[in-house]
Amino acid sequence: MGRPPKVQQTLMTMPAEAPARDIARIPLSPDFGWRWAASLIASVAMVFVLAYAVGLAVFVGVGVWGINVPFVWGFDLTNYVWWIGLANGCSLFAAILVLRRHSLRTAINRFAEGLALFAVVCAGVFPIIHLGRPWLFYWMFPYPAEFQVWPQFRSPLTWDFWAIITHLMVTTMLWYVGLIPDLATLRDRARSVAAKRVFAVFALGWRSSIRHWAFHQRAYRLVAIAVIPLVLVIQSTIAFEFAVTLVPDWHETRLPLHFIVSGLESGLALILFAAAALRTSLRLERYIDDEDMDLIGKLLLANALVSAYVYAGEIGVALFADDFAQTAALNRMLGDYASLYWGTIALSVIVPQVLWLRNVRLNDGLSLLVGLAVTAGIWLDRLSLVVAGIQRDYLPSMWRTYSPTAPEWYLFLGSIGLIAALFLLFVRYLPVISMSETRHDEHLESRS
Amino acid sequence: MSRNDYGIIGEFETADQLIAATRAARDTGYRRIEAFAPFPLLNVSRDLGCRTVIVPVIAATAAVVGGAITYFSEYWMNGIDYPLNVGGRPLNSWPAFIPATIIVSAIWLATAAFVTMLVKCRLPRLNHPVFVVPDFERASEDRFFLSVLAEDPAYEPRDVTALLEKHGAVAITRVELTG
Repeated sequence: MGRPPKVQQTLMTMPAEAPARDIARIPLSPDFGWRWAASLIASVAMVFVLAYAVGLAVFVGVGVWGINVPFVWGFDLTNYVWWIGLANGCSLFAAILVLRRHSLRTAINRFAEGLALFAVVCAGVFPIIHLGRPWLFYWMFPYPAEFQVWPQFRSPLTWDFWAIITHLMVTTMLWYVGLIPDLATLRDRARSVAAKRVFAVFALGWRSSIRHWAFHQRAYRLVAIAVIPLVLVIQSTIAFEFAVTLVPDWHETRLPLHFIVSGLESGLALILFAAAALRTSLRLERYIDDEDMDLIGKLLLANALVSAYVYAGEIGVALFADDFAQTAALNRMLGDYASLYWGTIALSVIVPQVLWLRNVRLNDGLSLLVGLAVTAGIWLDRLSLVVAGIQRDYLPSMWRTYSPTAPEWYLFLGSIGLIAALFLLFVRYLPVISMSETRHDEHLESRS
Repeated sequence: MSRNDYGIIGEFETADQLIAATRAARDTGYRRIEAFAPFPLLNVSRDLGCRTVIVPVIAATAAVVGGAITYFSEYWMNGIDYPLNVGGRPLNSWPAFIPATIIVSAIWLATAAFVTMLVKCRLPRLNHPVFVVPDFERASEDRFFLSVLAEDPAYEPRDVTALLEKHGAVAITRVELTG
């Protein structure tokens, strides 16, 4: 028997009118219960699996994967595209909430920004090891090299390089700028000197001055403004990586739209999943209330309907396409990998339809499952596109099949462990709900 | 006023008291006022004459400059310094140079906004005289503070104390400059 999770007890016995301060009790509590520790151990174990898989790819080579011409992208790019879509979806959603000053932002923003950041970290692993010689990745950077050549800027791969670096920096800034006042609160409330010092350094000496607040709000909104075009361009850029090739099924102008819509949908699904998980595990119902869950559920449903439209449009485009493109698209829908395509439709378009029911939107367990189903559905979509999309290209001699090897699965599962570990640490040591925004909201509500 | 006097700070229980006290202090003629609250208060920052428009101006300028640097360095590298002729495409292939231009200008925009915020707030600064004020840690939680600084030409400790008291300050502290 482990010790009982103390945080949950203290939070459950909180008086109903307690202000935002109980959020700070979560990061400052000395003990977090065995469930958190067990989850962290499990996810760190998966991070070791990731390290092993990355080590294999680096020291043995990408030959350990099941990739071969024409399937040169396989699992690594599938996962990359999936993670970056999750990150972009979360970032876009968080940035829009900041700019709209929507009441949802108090509940969602902090962990949506965190999830975006962690998803970018996971995404960043794949293109680097995909290079085959990952230690030479800096060749993508324009530096005055010995051999006097520059990167080829007409290639989407260089756009991608900038996209990941920028995404990492801008998402970190969005997250961190929002965190500064809350870090100051933690500094002021921490009991142990060590914790106080750490929070003090990261709070940069924030002293809640009205002047600081004024500049802080401006900067926060400006970083959010930077995020919006950024995520749309990044999702499109990733779509261009497919679209600029001559592969019949990929050479399509509709791909950027497809990537933006499905990326945002997966991001919303991840947020729904995390919100339901936080509500059940940390008893945060007061902050992520029923109205918030209702709204995220509705947004996900609306996005699933837009996805349905995009998938329908895809079928229409395929039917009017030339012979090669039509064969390739129909092969993706009906060929060897048809199960991936129909799995996508089932999980990311049909399953979210249960969100029409209010009871489902308000049920944490079901919301959790729907969120998981949609993220899995979008993963199948990426796999279907990367693998089944290239199966019928112009050279019939290359028409074969692809299946991932164990090291590729390790990479995929390991990256899930990585995001889980980062998220668990974040939940433990930082406020998952923005305390300053919550206080501000309570103030405004008491006004009206 | 002694040489190492920082100012006088009063602690309030509600935002309304802080708003009223700030307005009164401003109307009395104090110019070097600092207010502290656990969340942004737009009225107070307006009363303090806090102009933040410089942040978006600098950020927008940085975005344009950064975008231009990105675009022209792409053009210079692929078109002039080491011309790359790929299938006869123009050396200034602007459509292909645009994605990185937009993406990189977002770094400039966000970084400029963040750095301008730090510079204008004079952060990071881990030590500050107000941190020794008793109860000041509640400024990041549920209390409101107003201080009139000693460098204010109209500064007179007794008047400031009276003003803070009149608006319902629960504690008034004289703050000394430290270190």
